[in-house]
Amino acid sequence: MAPRENSHEPSGTPVPVETGFATLAQLRVGVKAFVEKDGEKRKAEILMTQIRGGKPKFYVHYEDFNKRLDEWIGAERIDLSKEVEWPAPEKPEKKKAGSSSKTDKASQSKQSKSDQKNPKRSRSKLDREISATPEATSVNLPGKAPRPSKASGKENNELLVTSEVTDGTTPKPEDEDMDVVDIQDAAAAAKAIPAHEYSREDEIEKLRTSGSMTQNQTEISRVRNLEKVQMGKYEIEPWYFSPYPIDFVDSEMVYICEFCLSYYPEVTQFERHRSKCTLLHPPGNEIYRDDYVSFFEIDGRRQRTWCRNLCLLSKLFLDHKTLYYDVDPFLFYCMCTRDEHGCHLVGYFSKEKESAEGYNVACILTLPQYQRKGFGKLLIDFSYLLSKREGKLGSPEKPLSDLGLLGYRAYWQEIIVDLLIDGRVEANIEDLGAATAMTTNDVLHTLQNLNMLRYSKNQHVIVLTDAVIEQRERQKAKEKIKGKRSIDPDRLIWKPPVFSAASRTWNW
Amino acid sequence: MTQRVTGQRFRQRKLSTKQNLPVLRENEVEKLPDDDASRHIPKVETGVEKGEEIVTVISAAQAAAQGGGKAAHLYIPTPDAVASKLQYEDLYPRHFTQPATYIRFSSTVEDMIGCPYCMTAEDVAWLKKYNEKKSKGVQCSEDEFEQVMNFFEEATQTKQPYAAVDNSPVLSYEDLEAEFDETISEPSRRFAKDIYQHWKDERLRRGNRSLMPTLKFETNLETDDADPYVCFRRREVRQVRKTRGRDAQVTEKLKKLRKELEEARLLMSYVKRRELLIRDQLAMDKLIFEQRSAVKEIKRKLSIKGDDEELLINQKPAPKPKPRVDMQAVQRGIPGMGPKPQVTRPDGRLVDSDMVSLDDQLAKKSEMIDGFIEENLNKHQKWNVGWVDATWRPITPPLEQSAAKSDFRRVFTDSQLPTPPASVSSEEAGDAMAVERANKQVEPRRSARIRFATPPDDVPYQDQSRFRRRTGRGGRVMIDRRGVKRQKLEAIDERVADRWKFAGDSSEDEQTYPVDWTDNLHIRYRIMIERQGEKQHAQATAAAAAAHNRRSIENHNRSASGHLMPPTPTNTG
Repeated sequence: MAPRENSHEPSGTPVPVETGFATLAQLRVGVKAFVEKDGEKRKAEILMTQIRGGKPKFYVHYEDFNKRLDEWIGAERIDLSKEVEWPAPEKPEKKKAGSSSKTDKASQSKQSKSDQKNPKRSRSKLDREISATPEATSVNLPGKAPRPSKASGKENNELLVTSEVTDGTTPKPEDEDMDVVDIQDAAAAAKAIPAHEYSREDEIEKLRTSGSMTQNQTEISRVRNLEKVQMGKYEIEPWYFSPYPIDFVDSEMVYICEFCLSYYPEVTQFERHRSKCTLLHPPGNEIYRDDYVSFFEIDGRRQRTWCRNLCLLSKLFLDHKTLYYDVDPFLFYCMCTRDEHGCHLVGYFSKEKESAEGYNVACILTLPQYQRKGFGKLLIDFSYLLSKREGKLGSPEKPLSDLGLLGYRAYWQEIIVDLLIDGRVEANIEDLGAATAMTTNDVLHTLQNLNMLRYSKNQHVIVLTDAVIEQRERQKAKEKIKGKRSIDPDRLIWKPPVFSAASRTWNW
Repeated sequence: MTQRVTGQRFRQRKLSTKQNLPVLRENEVEKLPDDDASRHIPKVETGVEKGEEIVTVISAAQAAAQGGGKAAHLYIPTPDAVASKLQYEDLYPRHFTQPATYIRFSSTVEDMIGCPYCMTAEDVAWLKKYNEKKSKGVQCSEDEFEQVMNFFEEATQTKQPYAAVDNSPVLSYEDLEAEFDETISEPSRRFAKDIYQHWKDERLRRGNRSLMPTLKFETNLETDDADPYVCFRRREVRQVRKTRGRDAQVTEKLKKLRKELEEARLLMSYVKRRELLIRDQLAMDKLIFEQRSAVKEIKRKLSIKGDDEELLINQKPAPKPKPRVDMQAVQRGIPGMGPKPQVTRPDGRLVDSDMVSLDDQLAKKSEMIDGFIEENLNKHQKWNVGWVDATWRPITPPLEQSAAKSDFRRVFTDSQLPTPPASVSSEEAGDAMAVERANKQVEPRRSARIRFATPPDDVPYQDQSRFRRRTGRGGRVMIDRRGVKRQKLEAIDERVADRWKFAGDSSEDEQTYPVDWTDNLHIRYRIMIERQGEKQHAQATAAAAAAHNRRSIENHNRSASGHLMPPTPTNTG
């Protein structure tokens, strides 16, 4: 909340967005222009420019779209016949000190790729100066002097939007205030939450002791570095930045071995590798097998290379995942389909060997080439099956991505509605949790989100709403046609692994 | 964002998660519940990422779905995955066969990918050119090339770990050559010098950085922290407090581990030695065999006869017959005490006791007991020489040689009397003989009971019928029987019997005779029967005592005393 209060200040004096026509040469970082996307014109913000092969290229972020759709485009797709929004002019310095990380991020995204090798120098200096002399605004940001307007402009613009959302003093019912305009604003606002709310030191400390999801905005705001990835039978467009070797930015396609997940910048190397690689399945023990999928359990400590490769790969598709620390404290549960070629990795989830916060999943991912086929639900179901076997309640590590949240909500809804629909007249939230290995909080959240928890006749009640029932029926009908895939608990041959203190502390 | 502070107009009971809440349908709740009221239910923080913009879109979509009663088809656009143009079948051959059991696997990626260096397009071009100049015999293969390149890379990595940072010059060939070890094979070394030039060029082209792209790990420089490419840092381990106790503990543990490792190693070396000895022995046997055949050949040529045993047949005594030694004792007709189940080791023999197999021990033991008994028996006979033991139940029946075990036969063998009809009703009862033969498999008692082969466990011992054949003086053959209903020869006795017919309160079939089961004769007899059973068990397990026919048991409960029947020639027909 603190950052938002911070942002109230400019809201009192809203700065009008400056618009106008632009020429190609005038386009710069921070400008919002209309860009053709899938046959439609969409407003997009330029995040980075570069000259490639003599032609200017722009890295754009489409408004209202997840960052995974950000892309490099040529000038021909930018519609200059429409007005563009210029980044707002520079704000007083005071502002910048408050949201240093944000500024920094902006500056960082502007740096060219070669520059990215060493962004720390300018950054850490920056941080230090800020923290050391918060009031000395005039001395602030010496490094930024040459390009202040762009950077601050972007920031201010966003903060402005933020304020519009948050300073509405009359609270509106949650479910109604989300008309389209608000969503846009909220989206922008969300993006604009300055990161200093969660300092980098806090972040690192948190990561050191638990989890693998970053909360820090600066961690997730990087330009995608790989163009395309070849894996198995597919070519995939990466969604996010992943710290593959820095040389890979020059490759048109990065080849990833489907079995050992090793990565190669050119096809010759990859083919040579394939002629030598003998791995045919994830290098661990199979703990589950039915006629559809297999699950392998892999210890990050014993299979360091493979797990690192897996993390690099999954980072391409997970925004909030961080690879800051090594894979030792995690177990990886990998789901595969099988054929004569081997066991094809479809998705996985990682899990802390010992989670202080009771998470049963750290990262969870279905590879893009297998998405929208119901694998995600199997993964989630399996993670809860493990929790049941452990006799614990579990919940995924936060934050969830948009797709992750969608998947989890669908799963939670199905499970809880199935439990409630059996004709019982009473239900107890904790029992629901115990039966499903879900935390009380997740049960509550699900019920609430579906508007099933109400207050009627002076008591709380659980309402099986018509919408929910209808949805369940529809789903059942669909399952009838398509066939239902599910995890069979009897086929899980697994005992919760026990890690002695030594195996946890003697990490290296 | 979901958290909104609202002015509450009235206080509401808090929601308890432990309390049972009624589950209702939509129509059971009043329409349009007070919106405010529902909002008083504490909003739960899911911990969903606040910065994730689409989250709001989702909740909006869901709200819309609920409001409209129709589920909006939710679709989050993602970049596509498309089919690749690479030849999947070529790159990923069909090698996988799924084992029946769940896979257990612990090899690492490094174990499975062979040489980590993979040729680039430049390498391929260079190698092609290089091989063109060479004659067919001395061409450098791709594998050899990669081996050499990999060696150069790894040697550089160890010698100049910071080559990429500190601008150190590329190592000279001489430096690298000095490092040659087993990772670089003999044939590859031939090309090392030529490949070096190529490697050096490539290396220089990249500013002496590693040729295979590598991840950036922490270098402990200040720049590490913010470099997005630096990944997989070590987690600093919390320093454990150093105390003397802990030190000792750790030392102990290390010592223990060391010791265990040593033991395992020793064991392995012994195994190795054993296997080597076995191999030697096999070689020796083969040699002997070959030389013998040579001798045979020569003898045949020179037509020498005789001496075959010495020369051609293995003189090594056949391995001692295994534990069934007690058979001999049985054959001698002296029932000894059964071997004790556990062998109590004589005290002095502990040293090499590990080497003695339990079977041997058991055999030795029972032999000893048998020997002892026989000795005493002989002694007894000597004392009794010239005397007739007229006492009841003499240890050695004076006129009979102790009945040899071999003289006891199953009555119903193929060549002898047909099997009487089974008493146990069984669908196979009609073909008892066939069953008996079929039964000569491993199936012992349990199923044998159904097939009336072995005496059933549940029938009292004395009720089971038994037979033996003895040869008496003058070659008389006598068949002893036990537990078989005597034919009612004594028809005359009927009247007598009739006289007593209602005298007792039990029917005659229920008559029992008190037996002292601990008396010597019974013990001996039982042992003998048991031995017999054992022997037959060994020969044809299941068919042990077909003669112990249950039918007769039902007919005849007499002879419960277990006495040896007087030698009456009988025909049980």
